[in-house]
Amino acid sequence: MINFLLQLQLLLSALSALLPLLPDALRTRAGEILDIAGKALSLGGMLSASGEDLAQKLAAIRAEIEAMAVARHVVSADELDAAMTRVSAASLAFREALKTAEVAAP
Amino acid sequence: MKHPIRALALACALTLMPACAALHLNAPNPIAAAQTTDQRAYALIQSYGALIETATSVVRDPSVPMAAKRAIGRAEAAATPAVSTLEVAFSAYLRARAAYEAASRADEAALTHALNALNAASQALAQAIDRAQAPLGELQSLINAHRGVAR
Repeated sequence: MINFLLQLQLLLSALSALLPLLPDALRTRAGEILDIAGKALSLGGMLSASGEDLAQKLAAIRAEIEAMAVARHVVSADELDAAMTRVSAASLAFREALKTAEVAAP
Repeated sequence: MKHPIRALALACALTLMPACAALHLNAPNPIAAAQTTDQRAYALIQSYGALIETATSVVRDPSVPMAAKRAIGRAEAAATPAVSTLEVAFSAYLRARAAYEAASRADEAALTHALNALNAASQALAQAIDRAQAPLGELQSLINAHRGVAR
């Protein structure tokens, strides 16, 4: 999917290179359309990549839980601490990123 | 721009296309794989960590609208305290279980007392899991809505 999006973005770039060949009246409109298409593709591609990343992480966690279930493993205090350390670090990074985004927002 | 509606439609179609293509109707659910209460709690906490990591990458992306980032931020602010409460209940459960295991070598009165404490801690942990699932589900729905992947 990511490859397909890259190919589409390359196609848009190639089309942009042909813009000077268009008549003046059409050039501005075509440029605007290509610009919107490029931005939309970029956003969609990022969201798709994030989705694949989350699915992989959830699959890894599920595999760990399945193994625990099969082994009748009892979760230890150390495992809880490690999981909460991950959550705390992620939560801190998230709040920092949100703050940065707020500052950068127009 | 002469045709803003057409341009908007094109932008929507191009944005949604990769998101729809990435649709995984049977995305992994770690909590469903757990067999015991402690495994469910652990799966929930780990899943939440993964969710927040993904939410961070969404929030860092400048092409994601600020309104979407704020909505995810509100969901995170509601979910993180619920997970912290779950951690407290989980720690209490682990202590009660350790006390029960130690009491199994003691007299019957101590064992009964430890068993009652373990049952109470187990019930509290199950309730904390149930309470944490709603805000976590809300956060996951928001991330799914902005990345196009169904649970």
